[in-house]
Amino acid sequence: MALSLWEILIRSKGGPIIEEKQYDLALFKKTQELQKKYGIKYDPNKPVDVEGAMADQIYWAGTELFLELGTYCTTTKRVIKVSEKELKEEIRSRPEALELGQGRDRVKMGYREVEGRQEPIVIAGIQTIPFSDEEMMFKISKGCAMDRCVDGIWGGILLKISAKYDVVAGSPSEIYQYRKATEILRRAITAAGRPGMIIINNAPTSVATIAMYDEGVGLRRSDGMVVTGMSELKVTYDDLNRTAFALACGVPIHGAHSSTIGGFSGNPEGAAITAIAGSLQLISVQRAESIRCGVTDSRLKSRVSRAQLWAAGTAIQGLSRNARLIIDGSIGDHPAAGPGTKQYLYEAAAGFIISTVMGAHSTGGTRKFVVGNVPNYGTPLESRWMGEVCKGAVGMSRAEAESLIKYLLGKYEDKLKDAPPGETFEKLYDQGKLEPIPSYLELYEEVKVELRDRGLQFRDQKE
Amino acid sequence: MNQAKRNEDQEQLLESLKVAIVEIDGDRAREAAQKIIAAGIDPRKAINYSIKEAADTVGQKFDCGDLFLAHLVMVGDLMDEVSTILEKNIPSDQLQRKRVIVIATVQGDVHSVGKNLVAVVLRAAGFGVHDMGVDVASSLIIQKAKEVKADMIALSSLLTTTMPYQKEVIDDLASMGLRSQFKVMIGGGPVTRDYANKIGADGYGKDAFEATEEAKRLLT
Repeated sequence: MALSLWEILIRSKGGPIIEEKQYDLALFKKTQELQKKYGIKYDPNKPVDVEGAMADQIYWAGTELFLELGTYCTTTKRVIKVSEKELKEEIRSRPEALELGQGRDRVKMGYREVEGRQEPIVIAGIQTIPFSDEEMMFKISKGCAMDRCVDGIWGGILLKISAKYDVVAGSPSEIYQYRKATEILRRAITAAGRPGMIIINNAPTSVATIAMYDEGVGLRRSDGMVVTGMSELKVTYDDLNRTAFALACGVPIHGAHSSTIGGFSGNPEGAAITAIAGSLQLISVQRAESIRCGVTDSRLKSRVSRAQLWAAGTAIQGLSRNARLIIDGSIGDHPAAGPGTKQYLYEAAAGFIISTVMGAHSTGGTRKFVVGNVPNYGTPLESRWMGEVCKGAVGMSRAEAESLIKYLLGKYEDKLKDAPPGETFEKLYDQGKLEPIPSYLELYEEVKVELRDRGLQFRDQKE
Repeated sequence: MNQAKRNEDQEQLLESLKVAIVEIDGDRAREAAQKIIAAGIDPRKAINYSIKEAADTVGQKFDCGDLFLAHLVMVGDLMDEVSTILEKNIPSDQLQRKRVIVIATVQGDVHSVGKNLVAVVLRAAGFGVHDMGVDVASSLIIQKAKEVKADMIALSSLLTTTMPYQKEVIDDLASMGLRSQFKVMIGGGPVTRDYANKIGADGYGKDAFEATEEAKRLLT
């Protein structure tokens, strides 16, 4: 019998009961065993797997991990197991392409090959940041949407209701304010001349996320729905609420999972294995049709350290080579450095190049890793960078990517723990013209020329 | 046996316990603890030297990437086990009470990695830690803190929209007349020291190690 959400729910109620701590320790033990069994070894001198043999081993190790360990449901404290036959059927039955957005802004997001010529879909915008007020959110979102090298944008949240009341997750204010923010987002893309482009937003709770859907003024079926799993092979009923809504309404499900270097996956090799297992979980348990395969590091507030680039990139490559799934990489979406700095552009470029070359799209938006409650901490220029780099890296070989990645790592890897904070939109943009201030644009162009000289063929160069 | 030799043997035993904990070798750690007691060494020396030094070493190894979260959990378990063996041999009136910390990710927030990390590093540093998990309501956190006679409440939030729940715990403590009974430390991705000061928290940690130093500063 094919898997379904309902079968998953039954297993979440009837699977083996286990303490969360025991599950976490079993994950650690198993990832360490599997890397020995499959001969998986991270070599810091080779941040990119240019051959693909290691990627294949990681794929098979991750598959074994998922089948043996299962998914931990923190709501019921039980393990949800999926059989090998069921997993194969889930992979086989996933679509090779999704059509997202509407009208002339509609795009096709399909399976991409490693080093593939298919252009990746880029969903930019400043992911889930707080905005100071409606006008600022409208302006920044419109600016992000205007750039033709992006296919969609993320939304964020307004910090206060009526400039007075805090927005609190799990309270009525969350539902109200996320819904209002989404309406602003839709108005912004319409004002940018792209009324059918994909918009995404994701509230802390499922009820507030579901409340954003409205074919007229909110999120539409054609925008898809992000279903984020908890870190390292866990799921909650709140995650599955999103799945249930999406299935009922015919909304394509985009699952997102991250394994953690230094967490219960242990070393980079373990994190790469868990990243595969998490991706297979998204397909089987959360019923995702496209999947974000990510790796974080418990010691860093960035996603593009050398080890992360290797772990995430190799896991994506493993998925792309062994399963024809629609994969999202988005590795460059959370730099340690802030907007307006060269380091931001270097970090973002490294992650997005790996994502594209390894066979992934990038739908994670742009934002400094930690923005705190500082409003308007990002500009449309980072969205342009995301689009330009993701699409510029199409056609690049893994060997070429490795050379460029090593160059970029040399620019930032010793500064990840003490990255420059950058500036907010107000400091970096002429708000009247909705254009970057000259010094920011100069810095942007300078880095662009730098990367162009090292082999990144930006679209304007290709055309 | 002269005194110098006895001292040397004692030091070796204490060191062997420390090394066994760092290497997460349960059999050797238990054996070393028993030998320390059999040799008539004050068990408090083992707690204050072997366990404390092991905790510091493990913390450093984690920080530079030689050990991972799972190791910290296992070290914490082993330290608890060894402490129990040693404490059984300390007269109850001389037992030093462990400082107790209740930790949770606040309501509406299911992020666990950072909070888990803080919990295990605190535990490895010798605090008694009650980890309540994620998405925990203020009333439950306060109830637990009262129940276990906690010295501190540590609150994690990874979302801008869940940060107000950190303030809620502090405000609830105040309205219940309990604020002075518990130190409150906060942390999490979007949380800053300025925010901690603004909402009246006693402490702030930007990462697990800073949080542990802050806890030591506030509780010792």
